[in-house]
Amino acid sequence: MKFVDDSQNLRLRLRIVQVLALILLGILAVRLYMLQIVNGARYAEIAQNQRIRLLPIPAPRGVILDRDLHLLVDSRPIYTILLSREDTKGIDRYSLIKPLSEGLGIDPEILRDRFDQVKSQPAFESILIKEGAAQADIAWVDAHQLELPALRVEQTPQRRYPPNGTLAHVLGYVGEISPEQLKQPEFQKKGYKPGDVIGQEGLEAVYDEYLRGRDGFRKVIVDSRGHIQSEVERVEPQSGQDIVTTIDSDLQQAAEDQLRKSPKGRGVIIAMDPNNGEIFALASAPTFDPNIFSQRITTKAGRAEYQSLLNDPDKPLIDRAIQGKYPPGSTWKPLMATAGLQQGAISIDSSNLVCGGGITIGNKFTRCMGGNHGSPDVHFAIMKSCDGYFYRLGLKMKLEGIQAMVDMFDLNKRTGIDLPHEVISTTPSREFKAKNYPNDPEWKDIDTVYSSFGQGEDVLTPIALLRAHSAIGMGGRMYVPHLLKEVRAIAAVGSDPSRADYRQARPVRTFDRPQPKVLPIPKDQNELVVHAMWSVVNVAGTATGIKMAGFDIAGKTGTAQVVGLGKEGAEHKDHSWFVSYAPAFKPEISCVAMIENAGLGSRFGAPSVRAIYDVYYAKTRGAKEPAGSNVAMRIR
Amino acid sequence: MVAVLQRHKLRDFDWLLAILAIGIVSFGAWEIHNAQPTEPFWQKQLIGLAVAFVAMLAIAFTDYRRLVEIAPVLYGLGLVLLIVVLIPHVGMKINGQRCWIKLPGAGQFQPSEFVKIPVVLMLAKYFGKHRTGTLTWKEFLIGCVILGLPVGLILLEPDLGQAITYLPLLAIVLFLSSVRMWIVGAVLVGLMAGAPLAYTVGVKTGLLHGYKLERINVILDPENADKRGFGYHTWQSMVTVGEGGVAGARNSEYSQSSLKFLPEPHTDFIFAVTAETTGFVGCLLLLASYALLLTRLITDARRSRDRTGMLVIMAIVGGLIFQIILNVGMALGMLPVIGVPLPLMSAGLSSVLATFIAIGFAISVQLRRFVN
Repeated sequence: MKFVDDSQNLRLRLRIVQVLALILLGILAVRLYMLQIVNGARYAEIAQNQRIRLLPIPAPRGVILDRDLHLLVDSRPIYTILLSREDTKGIDRYSLIKPLSEGLGIDPEILRDRFDQVKSQPAFESILIKEGAAQADIAWVDAHQLELPALRVEQTPQRRYPPNGTLAHVLGYVGEISPEQLKQPEFQKKGYKPGDVIGQEGLEAVYDEYLRGRDGFRKVIVDSRGHIQSEVERVEPQSGQDIVTTIDSDLQQAAEDQLRKSPKGRGVIIAMDPNNGEIFALASAPTFDPNIFSQRITTKAGRAEYQSLLNDPDKPLIDRAIQGKYPPGSTWKPLMATAGLQQGAISIDSSNLVCGGGITIGNKFTRCMGGNHGSPDVHFAIMKSCDGYFYRLGLKMKLEGIQAMVDMFDLNKRTGIDLPHEVISTTPSREFKAKNYPNDPEWKDIDTVYSSFGQGEDVLTPIALLRAHSAIGMGGRMYVPHLLKEVRAIAAVGSDPSRADYRQARPVRTFDRPQPKVLPIPKDQNELVVHAMWSVVNVAGTATGIKMAGFDIAGKTGTAQVVGLGKEGAEHKDHSWFVSYAPAFKPEISCVAMIENAGLGSRFGAPSVRAIYDVYYAKTRGAKEPAGSNVAMRIR
Repeated sequence: MVAVLQRHKLRDFDWLLAILAIGIVSFGAWEIHNAQPTEPFWQKQLIGLAVAFVAMLAIAFTDYRRLVEIAPVLYGLGLVLLIVVLIPHVGMKINGQRCWIKLPGAGQFQPSEFVKIPVVLMLAKYFGKHRTGTLTWKEFLIGCVILGLPVGLILLEPDLGQAITYLPLLAIVLFLSSVRMWIVGAVLVGLMAGAPLAYTVGVKTGLLHGYKLERINVILDPENADKRGFGYHTWQSMVTVGEGGVAGARNSEYSQSSLKFLPEPHTDFIFAVTAETTGFVGCLLLLASYALLLTRLITDARRSRDRTGMLVIMAIVGGLIFQIILNVGMALGMLPVIGVPLPLMSAGLSSVLATFIAIGFAISVQLRRFVN
C-alpha cells in the first residue's frame, strides 16, 4: 500500500474482495463440472434428441389384381398433413384443435381422439392431422408456418377402390388403426402405432401382413422451429406384396348386375371353381363404397355416410355370402338324397318313398308344396322337388342321420374362406332346440320333418351351401373356397443383410389349404344325384327355364320360407335360391344365387345363375350363347 | 525527455493485463464465429478490439488524476447521453428498450455501457479523499445520489440488466471506504436469509406471481420447469453447456446455436457456446483467465499510490466480477435470465470498448504508482 490508510484495515478488505471473487468463480467451475462431466452424456443425448427426427417414408401397399391381372385396388399419392409430436411436446395440443379443425375442415372429435391416442405412445412419431389434403389446405399450412411450425405436409399413398361398391365385401378396406385395436396384443405385437393404416375388412384385413410394405425412414436434423436442415440417414421403404385374386371381373360384374336388378336389390351370388375352390365371383347386395373408409372417414360428410350405412335396414356392410344365414329350402334335398343313399336309408335300386301330398305328424298335416307325387323315386323327388318324399326320407334317416349328413358336408363348420367374420350355419340338434324353445324343448318327429326339407333349424350361409353342392358335382371332393390365387414375391431392400434396416425378400405364396376333403360317397350313388340335378334343368324339373344348349347345367331350386307357412306380403316373400354346377358331369364352375324376398327359386335364382353361365360360356367357349336361349340377361 | 519517459512507461506498462484482455476478446471473437458463422459479428468484434486497444493505450498514457479531476464534467456528459437516448427517433428502440444511439457511419452505441466510467471516476473522486474514520451517513447518501441518477435514467429505457451492473460499483467503493464490518455482515446475512424468506412470503401472499415467479421457479428446478416457455432459455443453455462435455461436442456442424435452439448465442449466451465448443477444459481456461485478470487488477489496486486510483480499479473490478458471475451463472442455470453481457466475450462494441477503457484506467493507475 503506497498511501496511508489506517481506516478499517483496507488491506484485509482488498483481500476479502479477491477471495470472494475466486470463491464465486470456483462455484461456477463446480457447476460446470456437474453439467459437463457428471451429466454431460445426458445433456448430449437431450441435445441430440431435440435435433434428430425420424420421419417415416410410407411404404406403398401392394395392389390387388383379379385372376386376369387386371387392377382392382391400388394406391395413389395424396398429401397428408402431420403434426410433429416432438415440436409440440410442451404445449397443450388440445388448444390446437380449434384452429386446426377450422382451418383444415376436420371434425374436432377426430383430432381429439388422435391426440388422446398418442399420449400412450413413444415419442418421435408424427400425429396425423389430415389425409387427402387439398391445395387450399397445403396453402393454409404454409400461411401458418409461423404460428404452427410443427405442421408438416407429406406425400402418402391412399387406397383407391373400384367405383359403385364393386367387390366391396371381398376387397374390404383399409382404415386407420383404432384405439381399441392398438390395445389388443396381436396388433401390439406387430408394432403398429396411432395413425397407421391397416386392412380393416375383407382381403385387405386377411392378407394385411403381405399387402403392407415396411416403412422406410429418414433421419433428419431439424432446427428449433422443426425445419429440416439435412438428412443424416435414409432407409428406403419396401413395398407391400401384390395379391392376385381368383376373382373373374366379368363374372363379378355379371353377378352384381343381377343383384342390382333383383326385386329388392338384396341377395347373394357366388361363383366358384369346384375343382379347387377358387372363387370367380362373390357378390352381396346391397353393397357400399369402401372409399368412404380409405378416403373420407375423417370428414364430417364421410362420417355421415358411414353412419347411414350402419343405420340402413338393408345392412349393406354385411357380407351376405358368409355372414347371411338363410333356410336353404329345397336346395337341401340333394344333400339329403346323397346322405340317404350313403347311409342306406334308400338305395339306388329301391329309393321309392310315398309322397302322399304331405304328411300327418300327430294331428298336424304338413303338405307337399308340389301336390301329390304318388310314390316317387329319388331322381323324380329331386327333379320335381317333392317335399313329401323328403319328409319320409328324413324320418327314416332320423335326426342322427341328418346330423351325419351335416357333419359330412361340413355344414356345422366355417368353410374356411379367406375372408374375415364368416359365421357358422345353424343345423338341427337337440341342444339347439332345447335352448331356443324352452316351452317345447323335446326333439319331435315334426322337427325332423322340417329339418329334412331345408326349413326349421336348417339355416345356412350361401358359401357353405355352394361348397356342399360343389362337392356333389365333384364326386365328393370338397375344397376350401378361397380368393387368394397368389401373393407375389417382392425383392429385398438394402445391401447388407446384417443391418437392422435390411428388408428381406418376400417369397411367392399361394392359398394355404389347397387340399380337398374327400367325402365317402360311392360313385354310382353320386351319379344318381348328379343326374337328378341335371334333370332339374334339362328334363322336366323346376328350372328347365334356364336350360342351355351345349352347356349342361345341373342345379336345384329352393324357395325358403321367411315366416310361417301361409303368411303372405311383399316384405315376407320367400327367398329365391338356385344352386348349381356346370357342365354337369365334368364341372368347371359352380354357382349359387340367393335373391332375398323375391319368391320362387325358379323365377329369380335360376335366371340369375344362368346369366353368370352365359358370361362364363362366352369367355371360355369364345362364342355367344347358343341360339334358342330363353334368358335375355346379357350383361354387356 | 519524452523518449526516456516513454521507455520507462513501456517497461512499467502492465502487459499481462493488456494481453489477457486482448486474448479473451480474440477467443471471444472465435466463439462468436462459432455461434453465428454466417453473420459478420465476429469481424465487427475484431475491429472493435482494435479500436478498444487504441482507446486503452490513450487512457493508459493519460494521467488518471487529471481525468478524475474533470469527473463531474464527464459525469454530466454521461447523464446528458442517457437523457438523449430516451428521446424518440434519437434513441433506437430494440426489443422494447430504448438504449441505443445510432451514429451515422459508425453504427450504434450504448451510453449505459460507457457511463459506468464517469460514475466510477465520480465515486473515486468523492470517496478518494484521505480517510480517517468510518463511513458517514452523509457520504453514503451522496454515493447513492451519484449512482442513483444514471441508474434511474437507465431504468427509464428500461434496461434492468444494465442498471443492476451499476450497483457493485457503489457497493465495492462503500466497502473499501470503511463501512463498519458489522454492517457488511448484517447486509450479507440479511440478503441470504431474506431471499428465501421473501420468496416464501411472496408466494404465500400472492405478491410474487406471474412471470417473475416463473423465472425464479425455473432456477430452483430447471428440470421440471416449462422447457418451452419461461424455462426455455435456461434449459437450452444448460443443455448446450452439458453437451460440451470434457473437450467440446463432437458434431460442430449442427450445434445448439446453429440450429437456433440456443437464443442470443453471440451475446448473452456466448458462454454456453464456449462450453459447447471447447467443453470443460476450455471453460476452466476461460474462468482461470478471468481469475488471473481480476487478481492482477486487485494487485494493481493494492499498489496504487493513492486512494483514488485504488478505488477506480476496485470499482472496475467489482463491476467485472459482478457481470461475469451474473452472466455465467445465468448460462449455467444458476441465476435467472437477465440480459447482461459477459465482459470481453459477448459481441458488442460498446461493451468491449467500455471494458478496455476501464482497463486503461487500471493501467494508468499502476503506471503512475512510483510517480510523485
